[in-house]
Amino acid sequence: MEYKKIKEPAYNIHFIKTDKFKKIRIKINFKEELKKENIVIRNMLSLILLESSKKYPTKRLLDIECEELYNVGISSNTSISGNYHILSFQEVFLNESYTEENMNELSFQFFLNLLLDPNIVDNMFTIDAFNNAKKCLEEDIMSFGDVPARLALSNLYKNMCPNTPLELVSCGYLEDLNNVTRESLYEYYKNMIKSNLIDIFVVGNFNDDEMLNIIKKNMTINTIKKQNLSHFIKQDKIRNRAQTVIDEKDLNQSIMIMGYKIKDLTEFERVYVLSIYNAILGGSPDSKLFKQIREKHSLCYSISSSYSGISNLQFISAGIDKDNFKKCVNLIKKEVKKMQNGDFSEEQINQAKITYKASLREIEDTPSSMISIYEAHEYLNYDLIDKREENISKVTKEMIINTAKKIKLDTIYLLKGVENERN
Amino acid sequence: MKEIKGLDCKVYHEKLDNGLNVYVVPNNTVNNTYATYTTLYGGRDNEFYINDKLVSVPMGIAHFLEHKMFEMKDGSDVFNFFSERGSNCNANTTGTRTCYLFSGPNSFYENLEYLLKYVEEPYFTDKNVEKEKGIIGQEIMMYKDNPYSRMYDEIMYNTLINHPLKYPTIGTIESVNSITKENLYDCYNTFYHPSNMFIVVTGNVDVSKTFDTIKKHEEKRVLEKAPVIRRKEFNEPDKVFKKNVDIKMDVTIPKAAIAFKINVKNINMKDTDIYTCLLNMVDLKVGPTSLFTEKMKQEGFITDTFDTSIIKCDDHFIVVIDFETTSDIDVVIEKVINEVKDLSVNKKDFERRKKVAISGLLFVSDNIYKLNDKIMSDIINRGSINYNPIEDIKNYDIKNVDEIIKNINMDNYSIIKILPKA
Repeated sequence: MEYKKIKEPAYNIHFIKTDKFKKIRIKINFKEELKKENIVIRNMLSLILLESSKKYPTKRLLDIECEELYNVGISSNTSISGNYHILSFQEVFLNESYTEENMNELSFQFFLNLLLDPNIVDNMFTIDAFNNAKKCLEEDIMSFGDVPARLALSNLYKNMCPNTPLELVSCGYLEDLNNVTRESLYEYYKNMIKSNLIDIFVVGNFNDDEMLNIIKKNMTINTIKKQNLSHFIKQDKIRNRAQTVIDEKDLNQSIMIMGYKIKDLTEFERVYVLSIYNAILGGSPDSKLFKQIREKHSLCYSISSSYSGISNLQFISAGIDKDNFKKCVNLIKKEVKKMQNGDFSEEQINQAKITYKASLREIEDTPSSMISIYEAHEYLNYDLIDKREENISKVTKEMIINTAKKIKLDTIYLLKGVENERN
Repeated sequence: MKEIKGLDCKVYHEKLDNGLNVYVVPNNTVNNTYATYTTLYGGRDNEFYINDKLVSVPMGIAHFLEHKMFEMKDGSDVFNFFSERGSNCNANTTGTRTCYLFSGPNSFYENLEYLLKYVEEPYFTDKNVEKEKGIIGQEIMMYKDNPYSRMYDEIMYNTLINHPLKYPTIGTIESVNSITKENLYDCYNTFYHPSNMFIVVTGNVDVSKTFDTIKKHEEKRVLEKAPVIRRKEFNEPDKVFKKNVDIKMDVTIPKAAIAFKINVKNINMKDTDIYTCLLNMVDLKVGPTSLFTEKMKQEGFITDTFDTSIIKCDDHFIVVIDFETTSDIDVVIEKVINEVKDLSVNKKDFERRKKVAISGLLFVSDNIYKLNDKIMSDIINRGSINYNPIEDIKNYDIKNVDEIIKNINMDNYSIIKILPKA
């Protein structure tokens, strides 16, 4: 494996060369400071740019071309990364050694062309593409609450971190959507290409010069860009007593999430200690929570803990029967307390380290996880694989206890299943 | 050793003396290894014969049994064992099979031996059976609240009449609560004999060491004679159980599925070939590259696309077309039904789909998990690994399309709608 970063004024290129795969994966990220009203616009672009282009004016023609190019896969998504919003486009195609000569260039060219030469008539997106993307998003926004686990987490954020970027939902808002016009969307698009921080990741077995030429030929942007805002969101407002919030919905199962805030984490704690803490507490089927709440007390099927280093938050969630809510909260609190009291063994720490190291080795097995590692390095300055392997070994029990003490319960949330008429 | 042509995959296969089939496909460019241990026993197997006596067990038992295989007599913890070695282990049950699996970059042979051990040593007690009922009860509730899994269950329930796949693999709260340890042993002893099971290993391994590990372990086992597996016979009519079903759920966007029940017995092709050709025919008619979808979008009937899939139920294939719409759902349904009345396709489109299918195989072969799945599904669906899949696809012809069209009837279908409550 060989990594090379090429800095152009308007974008960074990351070449990750490996001969492990029959495919080449490309990811292009457009990053800017998170603004509520832009979320929906960027979601529009994520849909509309892969819906048609100047060259392929309908989705049908575009999809047919993907098939002609030996089943090229294209996708897009948007994500919130702390103080930033990232709009990503990805392409996967077979290496030309498995298809035809020159297919690497044709496939990459096709992808860049979709992003850089959209279907614009009279300085605006076409009416069909615009209306369809708008309706799609409207439906996404309206049906956001249909997936119970997603709704519960979003409601927790709203109660836990009001008036911060964390309360924003990734699909965006109807009131912002209604302000978008075909002209304003195109204006935003042009501005985005000019001003967003752009990173291009390419993984696979390819010729550097050839790839670089394709990028330079197509990406004729020459604005100079700099990142001056940190991704990380600090948690300074911490409650003395946790609040309990209960919402109701017509569901068979209730979902509970306990939200914790973390103050003053060091960088080492964020990347390494927190990961070991989480693994021991609820990161896997041999964790404390799984063993106690599920296996010993039969209270749930799913229970897990997770954390966001970027937002300094930690969560414990479970699908339960509403009558067991209090019991679950108390049992979970007990397990968390044990972490603070150091009631866990060296063996558990070692086991978590082994799991962590094993997952590092698996990273090199898939192109998408290799991209993730370099994204985290670029955006968050997280260590690369070798350094991570070295550092994880340094985590001690004292460090875990110290970190555990920085984790404070803030909000206990229950999406309570209530029985309405049943089918 | 046999090679899957065109995919750079070498398959080492051996059938052990006790009947266990073992397949090893090394890929030493990756760090990870993935092993699956599968029994041809799933949610559908609720009525079968033990010594010529028909036994009926509660619905959901195959899945329940899967959960209970993680109990060890010596009290040790299966998840713990694998995680101590930096590996993940899991299991899952479908209508037709139960699969135990692990993956990880370390301690492969030790892990493999432990996989064999825990799947081959059942330990069911009244107490540990009772404990699982609460856990699975919550699992059932989780699926019930999900409109997509609810849709799947409704499709099966409303198209099938006597076929055991009519009922969900996970069972119901009532059926699961009635399961006893005796039921579990009956099922285990019938379906977990090595002659009804197989192992597939993909990833970074030493082939001979893998076989040695398995053989050494299997030779030590003291086994009863392989039971004759005889399932209760059933006769599945061509018509559907219920034509129209409306479900009210707490969803915002209405969803619908049209599930065509098609008898494929008279088509003179292999099941797997019918599956691939028919799926492409339907998809070319109403999928993303169809003029139909383009028009339906332009006219504002849908925003996304029509998803197409096929569920195999022995002689019957259930062809499902599903979608979401905020427009007039009944009009869309009618238009779809009308569109698939004629499934003929043009040669150019069909040839392009062949290219897609071949590329798809190459993508699969690049990933040890997908490759393992593919081998598993070959064994379950066609009885053996297809060593010439690319050649098979290349040989597909418009004649296959005609053969299918000549022999299918698209008149038997269920329409299932999931509608918002308000």
